[in-house]
Amino acid sequence: MSLARVANVVGLLQVFVSLSMFFAAGVAFVYGDGDAVGILLAGLLTFFVGGFTYRITMFAGDLTPREGFVIVTMAWTATAAFGALPYLFTGALDAPLAAFFEAMSGFTTTGATVFADIESLPHGVLFWRSLTQWLGGMGIIVLVIAVLPYLGVGGMQLFKAEVPGPTPERLRPRITQTAKLLWLVYVGLTAAETALYLFGGMSLFDAVNHSFTTLATGGFSTRNASLASFDSAYIHWVTIIFMYLAGVNFSLHFRAATGRPVYFRDHEWRFYTAIVLVAALAIAALNLASGSYAAVEPAVRDALFQATSITTTTGFVSADYTSWLPGAQMTLLALFFVGGMAGSTGGGIKTMRIMLVVKQTAIELRKHLHPRAVLLIRMGQKTVKQEVLANVTGFVILYLLLCLAGAIVLSFLGMDLLTAITASMSTVGNVGPGFADIGPTDNYGWMSDSALAVLSFLMLVGRLEIYTVLLLFHPETWKSRRSFH
Amino acid sequence: MKVLVLGAGEGGFHLAKRLSEENQDVVLIESDPERAEFASQQLDVLTVVGNGASIPILQEAGVDTASMLLAVTSKDEVNLIASMAAKKLGVEYVVTRISNPEYYGQSSVLSQEHMGIDLMINPERECARETLDLLRSEIATDVMPFAEGRVQLVGLRVKEGAPVAGKTLAELGGELRDHHYATVAIVRNDKTFIPRSDSKILAGDQLFLLSPPGEIEDIAPLAGYKSSRLRRVMIAGGSTEGEYLAEILEAKGIECTILDRDRRRCLELAEHLPSTLVLHGDATDLELLEMEGVADIDGFVAATNRDETNLLSGLLAKTAGAHKVVSLVHKFEYLRLVPRVGVDASVSTRMSTVNAILRYVRRGHVVTVAELTSIEAETIEFSVDEDSQIAGRMLKDVHFPKDAVIGTILRGDEIILPRGDCKVLPGGDVIVFALPDAVPEVEQLFG
Repeated sequence: MSLARVANVVGLLQVFVSLSMFFAAGVAFVYGDGDAVGILLAGLLTFFVGGFTYRITMFAGDLTPREGFVIVTMAWTATAAFGALPYLFTGALDAPLAAFFEAMSGFTTTGATVFADIESLPHGVLFWRSLTQWLGGMGIIVLVIAVLPYLGVGGMQLFKAEVPGPTPERLRPRITQTAKLLWLVYVGLTAAETALYLFGGMSLFDAVNHSFTTLATGGFSTRNASLASFDSAYIHWVTIIFMYLAGVNFSLHFRAATGRPVYFRDHEWRFYTAIVLVAALAIAALNLASGSYAAVEPAVRDALFQATSITTTTGFVSADYTSWLPGAQMTLLALFFVGGMAGSTGGGIKTMRIMLVVKQTAIELRKHLHPRAVLLIRMGQKTVKQEVLANVTGFVILYLLLCLAGAIVLSFLGMDLLTAITASMSTVGNVGPGFADIGPTDNYGWMSDSALAVLSFLMLVGRLEIYTVLLLFHPETWKSRRSFH
Repeated sequence: MKVLVLGAGEGGFHLAKRLSEENQDVVLIESDPERAEFASQQLDVLTVVGNGASIPILQEAGVDTASMLLAVTSKDEVNLIASMAAKKLGVEYVVTRISNPEYYGQSSVLSQEHMGIDLMINPERECARETLDLLRSEIATDVMPFAEGRVQLVGLRVKEGAPVAGKTLAELGGELRDHHYATVAIVRNDKTFIPRSDSKILAGDQLFLLSPPGEIEDIAPLAGYKSSRLRRVMIAGGSTEGEYLAEILEAKGIECTILDRDRRRCLELAEHLPSTLVLHGDATDLELLEMEGVADIDGFVAATNRDETNLLSGLLAKTAGAHKVVSLVHKFEYLRLVPRVGVDASVSTRMSTVNAILRYVRRGHVVTVAELTSIEAETIEFSVDEDSQIAGRMLKDVHFPKDAVIGTILRGDEIILPRGDCKVLPGGDVIVFALPDAVPEVEQLFG
């Protein structure tokens, strides 16, 4: 473990972060709300600190897996810290911790915000918020690997630690090529959604911002009332479709783009789609029966919108679901755990892991009927290795424990039960809104600094899929390896 | 005809024996000098010691004048190379034994023609297919299809107290007037004979009948059986044969359980067979068999790699109440034990292979031939043409050898059971059942 190497890569990443700040400063300059200078200053500071750190810690050789895990966690923390500067330098926020929370919520694609009045913010700051989500969605490190082949072999370690899902799938022999392809699909889908929004009458600024945060399954909006402020069925349907697509494994999109659509053959895809549809139909039926909707189309649309938004952990809202029947609310609360498919930009437990745990349970039952049976778990044609299953089971348990621990800490900080529980679930799953005091019409701005710190940590742990961050707390990570003499 | 047989293992040895008995010139190539020596003492064949895949050895064996190569060593690669070389050297018919499906599956870019192979035989798969036929025809000890499956030769053992026991063939014929079948052979106390109309059927006899598929189900009750369908099968032993059988059963949607004593093999099986229940346990572990419901299983197949275990396991299953029990038996000497041990039927990988190859070898007038595991007799399908001695004559006028019988005449779509006033017309096929001594005489009649 060499801290210099860690600092080197983290520093390099900050140079990239500063470049995106310059871009945001450019946008701010064009709209002329007076926030360009603040963002530019933040960018320059980030550039020089990152660049200096990188210059003084140059090294030769490959990264070790341990360094990889530490780098990823450190990089994300540093990125959130520097990403908070534009909010502070433009005066959008005064409290450093609130700014850190906002930046972390952006990069982890959570979508929880401390701003009560979003619409009063200058264009540059709004664009920076959306940009943090867009960069965080596919992963900052994946982006750097895509353009910087020098990370090469060690890059796989970083890639594994950052990309969501139990097993990152290599589309091409070289990791750099794989990273490039993933970004290509990501950019393509973002452009498509922007075009469709523009066609529906959205302004260019709103269209780009919402496309950024949809594909990242982030959920930041430029409006106080999120997507509900757009009174257009067309825009809602476009959003539903792209939220849904962002929750699908990007390698499936890549296959489809290269002329071989294999969605239907993918078992996880069927499972993910079934969950969204079944939950949405149940909610729509409840809402129609209770009389809160008169027509079928709006009922189905709002149910699908909320179900897709929560399942994929986007966090957009088109209706205040806290006014729905308890059955519909409970269904949504259950969806907080689900998340997108492995290899998507969504958070949560991920459908792949849920499927594997369900299958594992079914096998345990069958073992009672046939004690001597040798039973394997399959995903499609392939059998799942025992180590992967142990990893997945461990993950799900850790995930639930983390939600519980977060809720306990928050309740000790004085939050009421439902707020504490859903805030914990929402941040670990990178969803955004919750219930009670953090419902779709509320925000996180009222919380104490300590609560914001806890939630920022939960967002980070959730985005990096627990193990990567928890490894930092394992003593062996910090022990130096014995060298041979 | 000159035939090169590659490999003097049990399969190759038996093939060489059958072919030389039928007056073919057989050259046996074997790499193990001791085994080659043994074969040259036992058989009337020429033996060449050496690697069958080497061109000089093939030339020494006279590949230039041979019209057929049977590559049946236990090494796929040797068989493949020898086949390709032989085809290039002008051998007309090449039959190759290949066990590893990776060499011929859909993924292979080399087609059978590329490799110069006319008939490819996978012994274990051949055996699994025969096992399934046996399981399906639930009363049969043997099942062999003829004329693209339009006629089956079926063996069945007459139970104690069965309605047919003690009756003559003529009496049985009266009772089954509406059924299409011909009784072609009876095996009693290990002796095979061709029955006449006054021959009596006794309990414990093994009857061999030729009939269209389906008819046998109606005859079954007379032999003391009740019929049922194949829904659940248990395979004791994860041999290659067992795995292939499970694979075929899976494809047909028949519920299947397979067990093996080796845990690693179990994992392999579980990976290859998604809808089969794989159990870790011994084929002779009665407690396990009973726990997994052997008592109400439709078919039980003992298919470990050890004959003794297979016979014992089959007997255990039969005693526990399994409906139809088949044991996999490798040693030819043990085949005779099968009825005594009490299992319903047996299969042998080598015998299945030999049968499949012999069926192919006797080309020309002979369309299909079958050799049965349990009797010393052959079923041969002849096609009749203008030059055949028998063509156009009434059966009662033909001097047919005593140890042979015409089972069925196929004329177009018609299936005719022979009587004295039947004529054999050119263009039809005739299925003859004969003891080995009578084969040359029968072949003359059709020649």
